[in-house]
Amino acid sequence: MSDRLFGLVVIIVAAGYIFAASLTEVSFLSDPVGSKTFPYLIGGVAILAALAVMLRPDAEPDWPSAGTFARIALAVAVLVAYAYMLRPFGFIIPTALAAGMLSYQIRPRAIAAMLTGVGLSVGLFAIFKFALGLGLVAFPKGWF
Amino acid sequence: MLKTVVKRLAAGVVLSVGLAGAASAAECIAPANPGGGWDFTCRTIGKIMYDIGAVDEPIQVTNMAGGGGGLAFAHVVNERNTDEDLIVAASSATATRLAQNKYGGATYKDVRFLGAIGADPGVIVVAADAPYQSLTDLLDAVKADPTSVTFAGGSAVGGYDHLKVLMALGRAGFDDIRAVKYIGLDGGGDAITQAIGGHVQAVTGDMSEVVGFLKSGDVRVLAVFTDDRIPGFDDIPTAKEQGIDVVAVNWRGLYVPKGISEEAYQKWSDALAAVGKSDEWKAAMEANGLAPFFKVGPEFEGWLAGVIEEIAQLSRDIGVIQ
Amino acid sequence: METLSLLADGFSVALTPSNLFLAVVGCILGTVIGALPGLGPSNGVAILIPLAFSLGLDATAALVLMTAVYYGAMYGGRISSILLNIPGDEPALMTTLDGYPMAKAGRASDALVLSGVASFVGAFLATIGLILLAPMLARIAFLFGPAEYFALYLLAFSTLGGIASNNQAKAAIAACIGLGISMIGLDNNTGIARLTMGELHLMDGVDFLVAIVGLFAVTEVFVFIESHGKNSALGVKLGKITIPVKDILRCKWTMLRSTFIGFIAGVLPGAGASLGSFMAYSAEKSLVRDNSQFGKGDVRGVAAPEAGNNAAAGGALVPMLTLGVPGSGTTAVLLALLMTLNITPGPTLFTDRPDVVWGLIASLLIANVVLLLLNVPMVRLFVHILSVPPWVLLPGVTMISFVGIFSLSGSTFDLLLMIGFGAMGFFLRKLDVPTVPIILGILLGNNMEDSLRRAMVISGGEWTYLFSSGIAIGLWVAAVLGFVAPMFLRGKIRKPQAITD
Repeated sequence: MSDRLFGLVVIIVAAGYIFAASLTEVSFLSDPVGSKTFPYLIGGVAILAALAVMLRPDAEPDWPSAGTFARIALAVAVLVAYAYMLRPFGFIIPTALAAGMLSYQIRPRAIAAMLTGVGLSVGLFAIFKFALGLGLVAFPKGWF
Repeated sequence: MLKTVVKRLAAGVVLSVGLAGAASAAECIAPANPGGGWDFTCRTIGKIMYDIGAVDEPIQVTNMAGGGGGLAFAHVVNERNTDEDLIVAASSATATRLAQNKYGGATYKDVRFLGAIGADPGVIVVAADAPYQSLTDLLDAVKADPTSVTFAGGSAVGGYDHLKVLMALGRAGFDDIRAVKYIGLDGGGDAITQAIGGHVQAVTGDMSEVVGFLKSGDVRVLAVFTDDRIPGFDDIPTAKEQGIDVVAVNWRGLYVPKGISEEAYQKWSDALAAVGKSDEWKAAMEANGLAPFFKVGPEFEGWLAGVIEEIAQLSRDIGVIQ
Repeated sequence: METLSLLADGFSVALTPSNLFLAVVGCILGTVIGALPGLGPSNGVAILIPLAFSLGLDATAALVLMTAVYYGAMYGGRISSILLNIPGDEPALMTTLDGYPMAKAGRASDALVLSGVASFVGAFLATIGLILLAPMLARIAFLFGPAEYFALYLLAFSTLGGIASNNQAKAAIAACIGLGISMIGLDNNTGIARLTMGELHLMDGVDFLVAIVGLFAVTEVFVFIESHGKNSALGVKLGKITIPVKDILRCKWTMLRSTFIGFIAGVLPGAGASLGSFMAYSAEKSLVRDNSQFGKGDVRGVAAPEAGNNAAAGGALVPMLTLGVPGSGTTAVLLALLMTLNITPGPTLFTDRPDVVWGLIASLLIANVVLLLLNVPMVRLFVHILSVPPWVLLPGVTMISFVGIFSLSGSTFDLLLMIGFGAMGFFLRKLDVPTVPIILGILLGNNMEDSLRRAMVISGGEWTYLFSSGIAIGLWVAAVLGFVAPMFLRGKIRKPQAITD
């Protein structure tokens, strides 16, 4: 079932891809192959391969429980928030928060997770800043 | 692959833009990866500015590749418009892309151009064993049978290397530009390799890319697109001498954000002029195959406006832009 | 003889105490940079260029430092591939296939020592090749036009099916995902944006490093959250660390073959180290008699890509030095470095600046020996990574990945893209869709399309041009054989294995 669904998703995405490729502006100075041929081919091969997967699906994978999915979704949310915070809030604070939360999700012990977060954040900052010389900013401008 | 690979070269240096920003020293943005012309401009001009005392602190070079310079242009216009400690490398490619509206609607009026202090002359090159002895030979061959000659260059279709060929052919009275075969490679060196291997017949590029192959005897330069012959390469004829009136150089210069004060603009153009007149710069130009070209400040701004207008007109004529 | 005396001159330049010190520092830094996901040889070198200048190093010293970092990073990439299943950089991608299963089986230290030796053999022989053959080999680049490159990429993709998957259709889908992603951005042949949906960040396409780090490092975090760290190499009881002499000897032909393939791939400017390691792996898999253990921890599957990618790293210096054409991302940075030192590589470099060329070659040899000497004892240190508890290690790897990717462009967009790849990677892994073909698709897709389109421009749309040279025909034949052969051989090879299972 999963493979059939996967095949269907691939076909829908490939069809969308082919449609998006068909919107490519055509250049006045076009070459014999053109901008669209390769994307069409790729989309076409993907659809064929997806059909093959749908016709001969593999055994069902072990999907994690709904609870696990929720935890993975939360991890994605943490990472997205981290991505947005990195620029405005400097390195140390967002990194400590994100690393701590990820650590908590792998092993739910609050204190250990907090220590991991702070330790990683400060330790990595030191490595990147002083050993590799990257221009990281510890805290937002004007805090100290 | 190379292009994507090379994108990450800037790595640590770019971090300073992303995460730092607190640096007090002035910054020069090279809107491409290390190794190209813009990177050379930033590194060399920045270094000489500090060495001759035109600025107090070393200039930090930041590589910001993306969109053929468009990402850096947008960054300057939108986020750094009043930053007086910022200079950005520019060249003919910047002007070409602005003229062809490749920077998402931005125009050359969104920043202030500071000046250019050197230029890489455009050249047409063939392999040493090619039958073409002069530019006219080559252009005649194209006129007789456009399929017999493929040009290779370091810029994409519609880019400056391509336009140079079309301009030359236009002057020679050949207007069927869709019949002209051109392939864009990752750089001038790649293009020359293809020509020496016999896969393409001619290369359109810049002088600096050719010098090594010229010395080794692998290629022959049919013409340079300058007003006069280049010092040091006096045996290479100009296109003009051969009746093809095209002047196309890849100038190397800088722009600054539009919102800076008149004093800051003056300070930077003085510093650039000082570099242009220094012996260090002369040596750097010689080592890199650049020809003298000096226009700084308002004079440059006026000249550039004309050039951009001309490229825009040409691009409309050949259908690269609507 | 002349070569030897020139080389001796090179050593006399490079072998000063201070340069030797720089080589050791560079090797260590390079190894660390290579091992960190997101930071690879090319950005490692780029990061350290400012350092070379701020230290006020002269040309030779700067070259010694940079080549040490370059080779160090090539060595280092394998460490995280083997221990964590996260390639430290793109040439180390193939090493995950057999290296990680070895680590899971408690043979992490064997895999590390073996791959260190393979790296040394590849890099060392490639440097010798560079010394003896550089000017001659440069001519190979002239033989490869668009038609030949197209056939070469085709060969790479035709052997994909045999790699890392039980289900050919899924490998094909993965390759299509990668190829499809590679099409995003400015179309080199028209200068017009494709499939970017108006997003300026996509104009230059999707950086394959974002994809690698997303699909491997970020996915790994999700897998750990699901499994709480079970079924990984972490915490596996390690045997005593010894030098696996038997395995090394068993791989001697593997290393030599892979070095040859990798070196040739490196010499061709359009191919590069990743293609070198990929071709070395797939060639080895199809050449050896019993390949049933490939992908499950075969020692030859570790030795082949490591010898291949390090040989390619050496080979890539050939076109860089003799033609001024960088054959890989890292050589592009080295080229930039040379140019800032006012040295312009090109056909006359060997005669104009022998001091630079031979100094560089001497520093390559020095870096290699230093790396071998450092890497074997350091294995003890590396495997300790596996005793770090996952709730510290995984967040750490994630944060390192974020900084690595953020350093590419300073863009939040790339980070979000990376998280997207991570989530996709989780589902793909569950569905048993291999992720290696995705990366190869992203790496090679553009080149493949460009070379086909260039060939068609040159020939005016005449398809026979694709078969117009002996090299092209040879590559086509190999590609067809590579695609067809596994279908026939499969039955013969798999059957006996089914009985023993």
